[in-house]
Amino acid sequence: MSASIEITNVTKRYGALTVLDDVSLSIEAGEFVVFLGPSGCGKSTLLRMIAGLEDVTAGTIAVGGERVDTLPPGKRGVAMVFQSYALYPHMTVAQNMSFGLENIGMAKAEIGRRVEQAAATLEIAHLLDRKPAKLSGGQRQRVAIGRAIVKEPKAFLFDEPLSNLDAALRGRTRLELAQLHARLGSTMIFVTHDQVEAMTLADRIVIMHDRKIEQIGTPMEIYQRPASRFVAGFVGSPAMNFVPVKGVNENGGTLRIETCGLGDVAAAIRLPARFSPEGGCLGIRAEDVTVLPAGEAGIPLKADVVERLGDRTLIYGQLADGTKLAAETDGRSEARSGDTLQIALDTSALHLFDAAGIAHHAGGD
Amino acid sequence: MSQDQTTYRPEGLTANRTLLTISIILSIVMMAPVAWLVGLSIKDNKELMLGTESVFAFPYTLVNYLNILYSSQAFGWFFNSLVVAVGQTIGVLVLSSLAGYAFARLEFPFRRTIFVIVLFGLAVPEQAVIIARHQMFNWFGLHNSYLGLILPDLSSAFGVFLMTQFFRAIPREIDEAALLDNASPLRIFWKVLLPLTLPAQATLGIFTFLHAWNDYWWPLISATKKEMFTLTIGIASSQTNFAQSEGLGFLSAQAVFASLPVLIVYVIFQRHIVTAVSGGAVK
Ligand SMILES: Nc1ncnc2c1ncn2[C@@H]1O[C@H](COP(=O)(O)OP(=O)(O)OP(=O)(O)O)[C@@H](O)[C@H]1O
Ligand SMILES: [Mg+2]
Repeated sequence: MSASIEITNVTKRYGALTVLDDVSLSIEAGEFVVFLGPSGCGKSTLLRMIAGLEDVTAGTIAVGGERVDTLPPGKRGVAMVFQSYALYPHMTVAQNMSFGLENIGMAKAEIGRRVEQAAATLEIAHLLDRKPAKLSGGQRQRVAIGRAIVKEPKAFLFDEPLSNLDAALRGRTRLELAQLHARLGSTMIFVTHDQVEAMTLADRIVIMHDRKIEQIGTPMEIYQRPASRFVAGFVGSPAMNFVPVKGVNENGGTLRIETCGLGDVAAAIRLPARFSPEGGCLGIRAEDVTVLPAGEAGIPLKADVVERLGDRTLIYGQLADGTKLAAETDGRSEARSGDTLQIALDTSALHLFDAAGIAHHAGGD
Repeated sequence: MSQDQTTYRPEGLTANRTLLTISIILSIVMMAPVAWLVGLSIKDNKELMLGTESVFAFPYTLVNYLNILYSSQAFGWFFNSLVVAVGQTIGVLVLSSLAGYAFARLEFPFRRTIFVIVLFGLAVPEQAVIIARHQMFNWFGLHNSYLGLILPDLSSAFGVFLMTQFFRAIPREIDEAALLDNASPLRIFWKVLLPLTLPAQATLGIFTFLHAWNDYWWPLISATKKEMFTLTIGIASSQTNFAQSEGLGFLSAQAVFASLPVLIVYVIFQRHIVTAVSGGAVK
């Protein structure tokens, strides 16, 4: 029932505007893949091209080994859940779910069986006779998912399906989606610009930016080994700290990185021969910056804002040269804004980016 | 103490009373001619020739209405009006829905230009084209026929405009969901989109019916034979002299008879007019 999806050299243009430029991606059968990226980067466009709602300007798309970009949407074997749900307002929940099956001439008994089963799975059996206008947002969203499930598609496509729900419901539905994926084992593509959704749901995350796929990887790979400065800055909250680099000296395996704000930093980063430090920067996450106990000497950081989150405390401050830096410390910290703290870096968690944004990580590439 | 009013009342009693009084006065002003008409229709014609004050005095009679039953002509005109109004209503609904769908959803060359040309139709008064139209219908031999009475108003610029706006208001994702549901374009139009335009259909249907029913000018010009008259023309033709000193009761009865369908249509569909006017409850 689940199928692989192969996207090969796909380009999308609207007139002179290129939205996606030569994008390739291969998704395994049963995988849960999340497209993550800033608004307008082409996530929906790519999803809609897989569904057949937009045509591809160049390249091919295959589902389950069969080329589909030449087929009409209904013949591709995929089901889509829209952000607005797009339920048919004049049909009951049951009719909404069976419409697609009636259109392919499925036997009434089989339609009934599937609708009943999906309704039971989604706990909407008591709503089958209602019209969408009489449902809550969360219930509509379940019906939209139910309409996809009954088709037993080769792949599910979700375009920001949770963004219209309130925070609590979003969290719960997220969990249920993960369970649904575990139960059905279907291929799922999920578009979002919410990092938490991406990190929690995905087998692999596809980070999209500026007409291209920036990185494909598991949530942990994306978080710990971002391929570029864009990914490093986009994923994680607070965003990764970037400190400008003045020069690098290689000295038998370890690297001495001269920075403006942090002074000289040693890191086990292996660089390619033609690395140029010009315009580069050093990246480190707030949680890899330690605030030293009072009395110990380190790098001075003048705290501007102190955010207490209960379990941890975030300190947004400035280094000696004015470079901004965020540090994380435990919830009991007594730091206050205006204090000058001493900090140390976890050098095994450093990332070095060249002027083009390409990343080099501590502990090898 | 127990009678103290502590709840906030947005409108005071005085304001309510004033509104009520104004409403009643306005209703009387509007209803008076209608009441007068109904009164005349149940008086004997000969009695009315002596003066219409007799409306306020007994005896009353239904003889005028019985005369309508016996005069085959009024019934014939009524039937003509019905054919023309129903035919025109159905035709306008079908054409406007199809055109509205096309303008809102289909891609074809010169779509915008054609739409603008249709909108110009809203600005062209009937009087400006009536002579050319009369000539054309003459060539085709369409005068004194149902087709001749129905055809001119089928191309309703207002209807096309209304339906286009209504189809446009339906989110495209509904179409897309149906596409993914394997529905053919015809099925999407018929099963998914058209049912969503029902409020607009009701509004347009009522307006078209009322307009066709009350239309006077074109039937007056096109239908010259007595048996092809619509009710409006028929009633006007049965006025015998300028002062209408004879047959006033009969004439009034015919007028009441002519307004019945309008009244019935309005009472039945009034609910839909309100929903349609209060917005597209699509989402
Ligand atoms: N029909 C169209 N004509 C022209 N440009 C379009 C069209 N549809 C989308 N675009 C452009 O393509 C780009 C990508 O749009 P897309 O909807 O895929 O973004 P997205 O990543 O889904 O953003 P969001 O997170 O806001 O939903 C945008 O810059 C948008 O302006
Ligand atoms: Mg989008």
